Amino acid sequence: MSANGTRLLELAGVAKHFGGLYALSGLDMYVDAGEIVSVIGPNGAGKSTMFNVATGLYPPDDGDVRFNGQSIVGLAPNRITKLGLARTFQTVHLFPNMTVLENAMVGQHCRGTSGVVGSVLRLPSTRREEDRIRERAKTALDFFGKRLSGYRQDQPAFALSYANRRRLEMARALATDPILIMLDEPTAGMNPRETLELRDHIVRMRDQLGITVLVIEHDMRVVKGVSDRVIALDYGRKIAEGTYDDVANDPQVIEAYLGTKAVG
Amino acid sequence: MGVPSRSIWRGGLIGAIAAIYVALVGLYTRFADLELVGEQITLGRLLLVAPALVAAYAVTRPRVVAGERRPVAFGRGVLAGMLTGLVTGAVFAAAVWFAEWFGTDRIREVFIQISDPLIAFLTFDKGVPAGLPILIALSVLGGTVGGLARTAPAQARAPLAVGTLAVLAMALLQRIIPIVFVELGFEADWLYAPSRGLTWFGAALVFVAAAGVNALWHRSGERTRERVRSTIQEAPAAKLGLLVVIIAVLAIMPLLLGTVISEVLGQVMIYVLLGIGLNIVVGYAGLLDLGYVAFFAFGAYTLGLLTGAFLNTTTGAAEPVLSGDLSFYVAIWIVALLAAGLGLLIGAPVLRLRGDYLAIVTLGLGEIVSIITASRWAQPLIGGPQGMRGVTKAEFAGFNFQDNPQHFYYLALAFVILALFISWRLAGSRIGRAWNAMREDEQVAEAMGVSTIRFKLLAFAMGGAIGSLGGALFAVNLGSLTPTSFELLVSITALAVVILGGLGSLPGVVVGALVLIGLPGLLREFEEYRLLIYGGALVAIMILRPQGLIPNVRRSRELHEEEVEQDAWGVAEPDDREAVAAVLPGGGLGVEREDLE
Repeated sequence: MSANGTRLLELAGVAKHFGGLYALSGLDMYVDAGEIVSVIGPNGAGKSTMFNVATGLYPPDDGDVRFNGQSIVGLAPNRITKLGLARTFQTVHLFPNMTVLENAMVGQHCRGTSGVVGSVLRLPSTRREEDRIRERAKTALDFFGKRLSGYRQDQPAFALSYANRRRLEMARALATDPILIMLDEPTAGMNPRETLELRDHIVRMRDQLGITVLVIEHDMRVVKGVSDRVIALDYGRKIAEGTYDDVANDPQVIEAYLGTKAVG
Repeated sequence: MGVPSRSIWRGGLIGAIAAIYVALVGLYTRFADLELVGEQITLGRLLLVAPALVAAYAVTRPRVVAGERRPVAFGRGVLAGMLTGLVTGAVFAAAVWFAEWFGTDRIREVFIQISDPLIAFLTFDKGVPAGLPILIALSVLGGTVGGLARTAPAQARAPLAVGTLAVLAMALLQRIIPIVFVELGFEADWLYAPSRGLTWFGAALVFVAAAGVNALWHRSGERTRERVRSTIQEAPAAKLGLLVVIIAVLAIMPLLLGTVISEVLGQVMIYVLLGIGLNIVVGYAGLLDLGYVAFFAFGAYTLGLLTGAFLNTTTGAAEPVLSGDLSFYVAIWIVALLAAGLGLLIGAPVLRLRGDYLAIVTLGLGEIVSIITASRWAQPLIGGPQGMRGVTKAEFAGFNFQDNPQHFYYLALAFVILALFISWRLAGSRIGRAWNAMREDEQVAEAMGVSTIRFKLLAFAMGGAIGSLGGALFAVNLGSLTPTSFELLVSITALAVVILGGLGSLPGVVVGALVLIGLPGLLREFEEYRLLIYGGALVAIMILRPQGLIPNVRRSRELHEEEVEQDAWGVAEPDDREAVAAVLPGGGLGVEREDLE
């Protein structure tokens, strides 16, 4: 675990375009260990692209991404996850036909080492590892209290309610034992009570588990409630950065969301 | 609830088309003399009844009205069945009449199976038109039975159906069961007429016994049944006992069944091995491989080379350019290891391909391998078109695995059990979980830390190694190898075995191989219609039971994903969204706007 205050994730001049569309153009941003950072911006501002570039799903066209002191450009996504960077997706992406517990156990996969021989012979070390994976996955599910506990763990993931599917996605990310967790619109589609509950969970991820959090969020009450720092993106660039109040009152941010006032 | 008349017309016509098709491919003439029960019920005559029966069964299916499943009422169902049979019979009779009028000789120029004996068979030797009413009456009978089979009260339906199917199965196995009886020291004459079908007495006995057992089983009540089921499923002792019984049955089977059937069972075992291997690639990892014959051929030829087989040439025999002189029991492991390597080699170029693209590329790679086996280029090594002979007999403690099919069965069984064990353990491990995740969503699995490259290659390697065992055993069984054994059909059959049994299901692979390899092998009469039956069976399974005969629970869920999507995934989201919109003034963005201003 990195000491608080050290630079954990750093994007320097990152550019990514799809054909003629520049999703990211020279984005500079960073996350320090122990922070909760929110990323806001209108639709199409490049928030999710930034996530996909940082986690290795897309290679950046230009610039550098550093995580925990090393450049992670060109690494396969599974290597980046193993380094301690976990994520959730904007639209829920579970393994719908696997059980809730198995979903979380997949998260712990990268912390295991048992291979073909161990699995076929069920060596003691493999059995111990399997027990540990199961326990760790259960701990991750228990982070959400009773929501994902008990009989639910043996249900297929598709049987969960929408909010629980979102929670399971976060539990699966937590089960990878991350240093930094990146949440892509975790409250999308949730009702107000669930949203409030989730706000607490985000804070608890840092305070109890010591995980740094980078969150894309549209619900400004959540952003206000959790963020140490807010970064606003538009057209693939950073347009404002600072405390919630600074960013919320930034004229460029207001313009990005509401458009320019007609000069009359 | 009745049956719409449109449905009856359509069902009847489809039945008639099926009957005409059966006539055109020559099934009627082929099976006209295959007696099933007594001298009267032949398979040919059964096939006369069958189209109307199946059509009526389909026509009287329950219909979904306003989301509710409504079965067809008993009386109306029977009537609809009769009418369907009447349509089928009438149209088919008209076709027969037409054929007679037009001249069978002229039709035979195109459809070679149309002949005067066929017309004689279809008109019961009474000629046209005198025999046609009998033909129509048989169709009406078939339709009636079809309607009954669907709409009769359940407690009557199940025993009757089970009894009939038991008689049919016993009658079709007329070459096999008498042998077993003789081996066990019983008389079989009372049950089967000498080298023919069941006697009437035997058929009645089988029917009563099967129907009676079924009726008792149902009478015994849900609770008893549930208890039996849960005992088998849950009690470890019962599970172990079941396993012991299964292994005991498998062990004594060849002794009871004699050499002919043991040979068929040996073939089944080879395809079970292929199925287990392919199931890892397709069923577990979700990679559609249409070139699986590559591993089969590789295993067979590599074992031949390692154990000192020699090449067939026009002048006699020749030594291959590379040749070993190993014992089978050493060579087989080297074969598996090398095949795993070949799996990596084939897997590497297709790592980035998915679905259809992967299927096409593997199809091509498989074709390359089967072309190489037949090529002159590879002749110095593996004999080209002439092939090889003198593959090891794998003799061991008095067992001869090449010349004695019963002994070969045991060798194959040992490898099948080994492969089943490996596959079962892998499926329940961290590796199986990774394969599962990868199959469900490759990109997300990668993002969650599963190295998809590694696990794809592992699937190809494991699947290749197990498939090569099938090839190696094939080589031992035959003793000689020719390229004609290693064609696309092997890939297709192995895939059909896996799909028919149920993707991802090990018991399914065994059942799939028994059905697709065992049945055609046992029922030699059907040999020439093997592919027709394959095709028919696969189409029927895909329509009626897409998850396979013995489905893997998870895979069957995946196949129903569309329904699930509607039931669970899709519906919840808009509801929640609406709930949010209802509570928050202006919804999510509205809050932002207030805060920003």
